[in-house]
Amino acid sequence: MYGDDGFTIFDLQLWAEGLGISAWVFITSSILGLLFGVLIGLIRYYRISVLGKILMLISEFLKNSPVLVQLFLVYFGIPALLMIDLSPVEAAIITLSGNTAAFIAVIVISSIDAIDKKQLEAARSFAMSEWQILKLIIYPQSLAFAMPMLVGLAINQLQVTSLVSVIGVVDLTRVGDIVNLRTFEPFIVWPVIGATYFVLAKMIGIAGSKLENRFNRYKRVTNI
Amino acid sequence: MPDLSAMLEHLPAFWGGFLVTAEISVLSIIGSFIVGLIVALMRVSEAKAARLFALCYVDVFRNIPFLVLIFFAYYGLPEVGVYIDAFWTGCLALSIAVGAYVTETLRAGIVNIDKGIIEVAKSFGFGRIKLYTKIILPIAITSSIRPLGSVFINLILTTSILSAITLGELTSASKIIASTTFRPFEVYVFLVIFYGALTFALSALIATWHKHLNRYNEV
Repeated sequence: MYGDDGFTIFDLQLWAEGLGISAWVFITSSILGLLFGVLIGLIRYYRISVLGKILMLISEFLKNSPVLVQLFLVYFGIPALLMIDLSPVEAAIITLSGNTAAFIAVIVISSIDAIDKKQLEAARSFAMSEWQILKLIIYPQSLAFAMPMLVGLAINQLQVTSLVSVIGVVDLTRVGDIVNLRTFEPFIVWPVIGATYFVLAKMIGIAGSKLENRFNRYKRVTNI
Repeated sequence: MPDLSAMLEHLPAFWGGFLVTAEISVLSIIGSFIVGLIVALMRVSEAKAARLFALCYVDVFRNIPFLVLIFFAYYGLPEVGVYIDAFWTGCLALSIAVGAYVTETLRAGIVNIDKGIIEVAKSFGFGRIKLYTKIILPIAITSSIRPLGSVFINLILTTSILSAITLGELTSASKIIASTTFRPFEVYVFLVIFYGALTFALSALIATWHKHLNRYNEV
């Protein structure tokens, strides 16, 4: 690839750096999004105050508006309102965590709802505490139920990370843009960038289906 | 303090951006439906090559970010001698990219048709073309109005990404308003609420339409 006129070995280094930034933004925002999403979902499920309803309303708007606009809101809007400085990477991680959390909250609620209510009643009549019920009954089953949705969401959010290039984060897409504008070789640059995302998405898919098998194992032991 | 009144005098610019978004959305919805329909028919056809092509198409376009596709189209098309502006580049890219999601939705609709209905149609002497145009496609499309609706709502939200290739749609227009009024927070909050309200209204309409079209299917 760098045998061509415009390309140098440094483009490869740039590609690797972009890959690192994309992966960092993706992994951090997924973990934060998972934590906040589960928290919001549980607050709503246990109907803790009016907070749950407000958080779900905000989630609805985060799910139903373009992520790009949310990025602009956080990167340009919040610093102007609160008179603070936000780096592009910070703004990107805040936005994507919020967006992921909104989707996770809905997944959490629907997977808890999918559990047979009789199990919960039985557990309560055995005087199990709410924490025990959450840990021993709700958690393993809803996790297995939610896994395919979580993997689909992860693959989708990986693609969404490409948008952070628009606010100036030097991620994989931004690297593609920089190299493309210098070399004018769109037919080499963009297929390489696209293929990188494709391979990453496939890797998430494979890891996800392994996890799905792992979490579904409890179903196999029931008939012994 | 947040102050939305600053936006009032810029409403015409906002409306102008919305019209571009609406225009490109309608054209791309039609385009992606046509692309998706053709590929969905390939996906369920008996020719192995067609099936393989359709499978690869869906796999590629569902796993590559739209921003990468749009940059590829925007910088790549002039290289091969196709000179079209940002509007038509966006239209083309959206039709092809969203076509992959339409394909999967329609395929699910086709695969879920009761096999008995097809057997009956065949025994009445329906040919291949008549079987598809009179039986399979009408059932597949009416039963997948709701999932198709969410695909198309996603398309409308995706048009915001076209601001990256200098198309003057809603997000671009708002960006200009934000930089002239120095009130980015208010402008983008308004925009998030606007897109959200648009989405809720459209999904409510689609849900009603879906119910109406499928009113005889409920037992």
